[in-house]
Amino acid sequence: MKSWAGLENSSFFDASARERALGMVDKGTFTELLNPLDRYCSPHLPVLGTAVEFDDGIVTGVGLLGKHPVFVVSMEGKFIGGAIGEVNGAKMVSTIRLALKAAKSIKEKHPNDYDDRRPLVAISFETGGVRLHEANAGLLAHAEVMDAFQDCRGTVPIVAVVGSKVGCFGGMGFVAAATDVIVMNEEGRIGLTGPEVIEQEMGKEEFDASDKALVYRTTGAKHKYIIQDCNYLVEDRVGDFHNVLAEVADMPMAEIEKMRRIGSLKLVQEQQELVKLVGDMQPKDSMDIWKHFGNKKPEALPEMSTAEFLKVVKRRKRP
Amino acid sequence: MALEILEFEFKSAATQGINKEWSHFGVTGSGDLEVLMEKKDLGGAVKAKVVTPVKGFDAVWEKMLGKFVDDTGVGNVSIEINDDNATPIVVYVRLRQALAEATAKEVE
Repeated sequence: MKSWAGLENSSFFDASARERALGMVDKGTFTELLNPLDRYCSPHLPVLGTAVEFDDGIVTGVGLLGKHPVFVVSMEGKFIGGAIGEVNGAKMVSTIRLALKAAKSIKEKHPNDYDDRRPLVAISFETGGVRLHEANAGLLAHAEVMDAFQDCRGTVPIVAVVGSKVGCFGGMGFVAAATDVIVMNEEGRIGLTGPEVIEQEMGKEEFDASDKALVYRTTGAKHKYIIQDCNYLVEDRVGDFHNVLAEVADMPMAEIEKMRRIGSLKLVQEQQELVKLVGDMQPKDSMDIWKHFGNKKPEALPEMSTAEFLKVVKRRKRP
Repeated sequence: MALEILEFEFKSAATQGINKEWSHFGVTGSGDLEVLMEKKDLGGAVKAKVVTPVKGFDAVWEKMLGKFVDDTGVGNVSIEINDDNATPIVVYVRLRQALAEATAKEVE
């Protein structure tokens, strides 16, 4: 086990799901719910002869950021690519519902300073979406998570944290987009259809998945930050994610609402503007878009460190 | 198709216990495994349960686990392993790491 300082200073990208869960909240405050000792394994995988895991690939629990209770979901990409099935899906949904329940009881007990004690949901995504072995249950979990997000709207902020090896793809790409705030490190990737799948379906001319620079230019955090899909771009340190989460936990709900990408007619219209722009521009590469938004030397951006990038980058202006 | 469930029991000198009531280490990644250790009064013995998709390696598991018990002198511990095609040497390394985790003092 790493020391607390060691954990906060370590790479988020390299951290396991449990380390991320521990390190995203304040020191010593994390309590795991349904830990490995509870042995909630998938009932479907043994039938198919596929190895199981005691936590079914998701770490869930509750911790604190100052006075804010934080409900944490952290996905483990090493176990079946972090894919969502019945048990880990239910763990994810239940954790979000628990946050809403906590919000209700805090509102009753502390009606005057709810904002100071307002819960937060932090989800560290590392997943390719639905676990194909238990696809129907996995899909249902996606729908239930989206539903729970809607119930939390305006009461409990949901923060997506993306910065692990597998990235956030498939149905979970939609789920991440439906959160209030997205925090990424440079290595973080969000998308719907994964690069390999696009190549397989549409050919290497359409998308060369072995071209890692292309993959990162298209799905990576710098691109997402420029087009405003990503709200915070941080250095690859567990402590940096912890700090941003603490900052968001203290923000007024109205400020958090402004960071959303979807979820109102106005936001849909804003997205449609972007679709229209791409239709008119017919960009050959993400760099064409970066240039359009005012980055004179777009080819220099991928090579920059996060700190350099944040100093010079020009982002899409939001209305 | 179903998963193999193997159970073993080893006699041990029991010169080494674990500090925590229970301890968990590792991820059932491809070629890897996770280990759950629980403190149990087994009269010094070690019980082990292995869940794996691989068939026909019962004797290898028994050898590897037995070596781990002999080398460390660990006793009064129940070990549960979820395996996904780990090689014997990976099994041994993970067991040693899991024991280090289970016997570690809480760090600041």
